[in-house]
Amino acid sequence: MTYIENIFVCIAAPLLVTALCMGKRYARIFFFCFAGMAACLLSAYINTFFAQLYNADLINATTQIAPVVEEIMKLLPLLFYLLIFEPKAEKINTAVLIVATGFATFENICYLTQNGAAQLSFLLIRGFGTGAMHIVCGAVVGFGLVYVWPRGWLRVAGTGGLLGAAITFHAIYNLLIAYGGTVQYIAYALPVFTITTGIGASKLFKVKQQR
Amino acid sequence: MVELIDNTLQFSVTLIACVGAGILYSKSREQAYFLLTCFLGTFSLGTLYWTLHVLLFNYSPQVFYVSELTWIASYLFLLTLEHVLSTPEERKFKHPAVWLVPIICIPQLGLYLTHGDILFNLLICGQTMAAAWYSVRGLLYARRQSGKPRDRQFFHIAVLSIITLEYCLWTTSCFWVSDTLTNPYFWFDFLLTAALFMLLPATRKAVEG
Repeated sequence: MTYIENIFVCIAAPLLVTALCMGKRYARIFFFCFAGMAACLLSAYINTFFAQLYNADLINATTQIAPVVEEIMKLLPLLFYLLIFEPKAEKINTAVLIVATGFATFENICYLTQNGAAQLSFLLIRGFGTGAMHIVCGAVVGFGLVYVWPRGWLRVAGTGGLLGAAITFHAIYNLLIAYGGTVQYIAYALPVFTITTGIGASKLFKVKQQR
Repeated sequence: MVELIDNTLQFSVTLIACVGAGILYSKSREQAYFLLTCFLGTFSLGTLYWTLHVLLFNYSPQVFYVSELTWIASYLFLLTLEHVLSTPEERKFKHPAVWLVPIICIPQLGLYLTHGDILFNLLICGQTMAAAWYSVRGLLYARRQSGKPRDRQFFHIAVLSIITLEYCLWTTSCFWVSDTLTNPYFWFDFLLTAALFMLLPATRKAVEG
């Protein structure tokens, strides 16, 4: 049994002290980091609840329940931020990415606690694969929200659509990992490939716009 | 095997249409193309997940709603696209024929509720009914116009075809015949793929009109 709430306290405590030391200016960054980790913690409980409810085995829970729960949980602190604080567009993206990073980091810590840290090569692949996957999902939601949030009529459809896209990307990643074999290495490469393509496409788009 | 071919084809076609809509958006910066890209993109992602699940595990996902959520999201984009393309006069336009939509769709919804998941069916049927309502109204309005605004009828015909085929698909899935081509489910799904692709030129005509 893994006491993830104890791990959460252990990780959050020094960050909390640092946040207090660094003052108001950086409070937002720490808040999103905590929110990401808390979302991961709560996702673990909710995943277990739904897996029990639907009597799902490990593969079904990983490929069908976890992506939906985790992406919704990651979106909730952002929705709170967007609805209450009404931030400027450039702040939205940072917030989404920090939440995703907090989530991915806490998930990796829990993974290490359960499975050990003996195999560096595998952990390196997993770190870049799963970590990057959460960042890709965050980037999809973040960049999308920057576009849709100022357009009132597009908010609902846009947020729902972005959430759907993030869930499906996450689910496809988990599906390929769950299958194992060579397919899982395609999955590990998928997020890094997506990030590279995204950065390349956005640079190309900027060059075209400048012309 | 037929299901796999059908889903792979649908994913490929919607992805190509999505890329096409994306190119049109990057050239013209028209919001309608952005929404069409989102609709086709999310639809194709849902189909990709479904296809991969069938390909890797030999059965369709049955526990939770990954593809379903994506399809719901895609129909949200379609609804927004219909709203964006409609004019203020069109929104005020009233015609008794639009009531045919709930008259036809609600009994179908009843059938789906007895065969499938309640929440998903309520959401997706609610959305498709709203989209069909918009399309029937838009079609009747566009046919009363002359010149370029009349070209919007093709967009509404494409949307209506997609929704009609979706309903045929869901109805046939309630009475599953076989996993071969004799099953009408696959005929409707192949037609749906074609209708989804046709939405791209139809939207182009509507935007240019």
